[in-house]
Amino acid sequence: MTTLLLLLLPSMLFMAGVFALPLARYLWLSFHADSVMTGLVAIPNDGANWNRFLNDLRYWQDLGQTLRFAVASVTLELLLGLAIALLLNQPQRGRALIRTTSLIPWALPTTVMALGWRWIFNTPYGPVNRLFESVFGHSLNALGEPSLAWLTTVYADVWKTTPFVALILLAGLQTIPSDLYEAARLEGAGALTCLKKITLPLLLPYLGLALMFRMAQAFGVFDLIQVMTGGGPASSTESIALYAYWNALRFLDFGYSATIMIGSFIILTMMVAIAWVVIATARRRSVVGAPS
Amino acid sequence: MNWMKRTSSRFILVIVSIIASTVLGVSTLARQTDSVSILMPAPFADATAELVRSFNKEHKGRIHLDVIRGPLETESISDLAISSLLLGDTPFDGLLMDVTWVAKYAKAGWLAPLDAYFTDQDFASLAPGANEGNHAEGALQRWPLTSDLGLLYWRTDLMDEPPRTPKQLETISSRLQNSGQVPFGYVWQGRQYEGLSCVFLEMIDGFGGEWYEPQSGAIGLDGPAGIAAATWLQDLIATGISPRAVTNYSESESLQSFKSGNSAFMRNWPYAWAELQKDDSPVKGKVGITTMVAESNQPPAATIGSWGLSLLQGSHHPQSTIEAIKYLTNEQSQRYLFTNFGYTPTQAALYKDEQLTNAYPSLVAIGEALPYARPRPQTPLYAQMSDVLQRNLSSTLTGLTPPPAAMKQAQDTTEQVLIAAGATP
Repeated sequence: MTTLLLLLLPSMLFMAGVFALPLARYLWLSFHADSVMTGLVAIPNDGANWNRFLNDLRYWQDLGQTLRFAVASVTLELLLGLAIALLLNQPQRGRALIRTTSLIPWALPTTVMALGWRWIFNTPYGPVNRLFESVFGHSLNALGEPSLAWLTTVYADVWKTTPFVALILLAGLQTIPSDLYEAARLEGAGALTCLKKITLPLLLPYLGLALMFRMAQAFGVFDLIQVMTGGGPASSTESIALYAYWNALRFLDFGYSATIMIGSFIILTMMVAIAWVVIATARRRSVVGAPS
Repeated sequence: MNWMKRTSSRFILVIVSIIASTVLGVSTLARQTDSVSILMPAPFADATAELVRSFNKEHKGRIHLDVIRGPLETESISDLAISSLLLGDTPFDGLLMDVTWVAKYAKAGWLAPLDAYFTDQDFASLAPGANEGNHAEGALQRWPLTSDLGLLYWRTDLMDEPPRTPKQLETISSRLQNSGQVPFGYVWQGRQYEGLSCVFLEMIDGFGGEWYEPQSGAIGLDGPAGIAAATWLQDLIATGISPRAVTNYSESESLQSFKSGNSAFMRNWPYAWAELQKDDSPVKGKVGITTMVAESNQPPAATIGSWGLSLLQGSHHPQSTIEAIKYLTNEQSQRYLFTNFGYTPTQAALYKDEQLTNAYPSLVAIGEALPYARPRPQTPLYAQMSDVLQRNLSSTLTGLTPPPAAMKQAQDTTEQVLIAAGATP
């Protein structure tokens, strides 16, 4: 037992240094006023930051928008990623080449591709607007309309990260032994039954993994939105990461920025816990239901 | 014995070489050149490269100036500078600063006051307007390098006179649009970002109001002028004088629209002039520059977007850094920067130089606009105030909130921001 702990110690120390320590520092900072107005000196302020946080309508609006973005983009990515993974898992000619090239969007730096999308969705010069005009006869103000702008960010995110989801799911598909399908086919099961009874239940851990990774990333979305819309129009695409960043680096209000981070950390942790319970329950049910 | 002799001779050799290198080292240290580094946004670093070379040639052996080529975008430079300043010991001696950072950086204690280095004569050589926005915390914090300001670009082939009032701008636009000469009247910066605050400042001042008065702490956003400015901007979109997409336009999109001949007016900075006079420009030779429209009983306003050089607190070579700053901002350097890169000069003498004004008619127009230059609110909390304004303006421009309600919201939130920061006078 002691040896075990001793062996774990270096990595524990490392984790503490890069994870626990900054978190503790931020927690401490969230109970202090530390901004340009205090001369960047931390002064205890009796939870005023937290009071402000709870009453900050802008934060809660941003949280709602971030969740909307995360749920919409991750759902689409999982669906599309699954479809692409199933396709890529089929034996076909040049499979390696197709698999590699399908990763290109994911390999591009986010800011570069976000700048690209900003021009693609540009009105009136972007191709999307041109296409829309030629079909519907009037222009599409995709980035300037609050009801549409967030959809363009979802679209860009789906384009970029679906390959990542597909890659994880493809790895999952390859762990499923092919004799399961052969046996099922012998029993007369169709493709849809195979998908429902074999592929999806066995892929569930990988779906959970992709979901967890993507949710955490989408929740902290920053660069994509910063470049594409800057949070606008009318702050309709602002995410909590963007808000925290502005408070820290633009407003030099480190106390409140820390409060936003810690608050979001708590909310995200709770969400992951709920997701974990849901997935665990689903898995148990699918294992129980498998023999039938 | 032999080995002892050999060791001792080796020992002496080592001692001698240590002494020699120390002496040599000290003497080279005494003659060592001061290494000065200044962080600038990439376009400025590129534009000043030639000046830096000649500075280093002239100061060979004394000062070596290094310009660090930072990111392209204004705010990315600020992020980079702030991240390094927060760590305490700054790796830079100087920083090229946007006008909106001065109060914030000074309040944070990152800038070294420059009053001791510049004389009354230096101040007298500055063009009107160039002196704005360099002071904070009761001291000179920055010396101006280039003096950007917001201008109204108009098409000389479509009208004889540029509009003076908001109403005239609307009338001319509608006439030109109705006769099919241009699809749009006026393009400007309506994206939710700093440019929108610049557009708004010109309009609220033009309607006779004031965004924020630092001395009294008065906020004028939901006053008659504030509401009139917001209403006017929103009407431009509602009546089709400005394209709906203007709500996501920054400078580049506006310029593209105006350059392609799609609009009769554009609000932009002086840099756009050179772009419009290029050979590929369909409006080449058909463009005039004037000040922004204002109510007939009000002076026009031009938002200052100037850049200047600051000495950072903790610089090891303040004197040499000042020398570099003076060199980069002197008349000769500014002439070079203007003729080669279109950077608006801050030295008054250049606006009276006939050789220059004959070759560059835009300089005359800029010189005429300079007396109307207006800084954005000079407070360390400017970034928050601007953010609040942009958010609410964007909400009204996209039709989510009527202008009076949006301005009321902006007013209330700005007050809250000032109170929360303990900045109410």
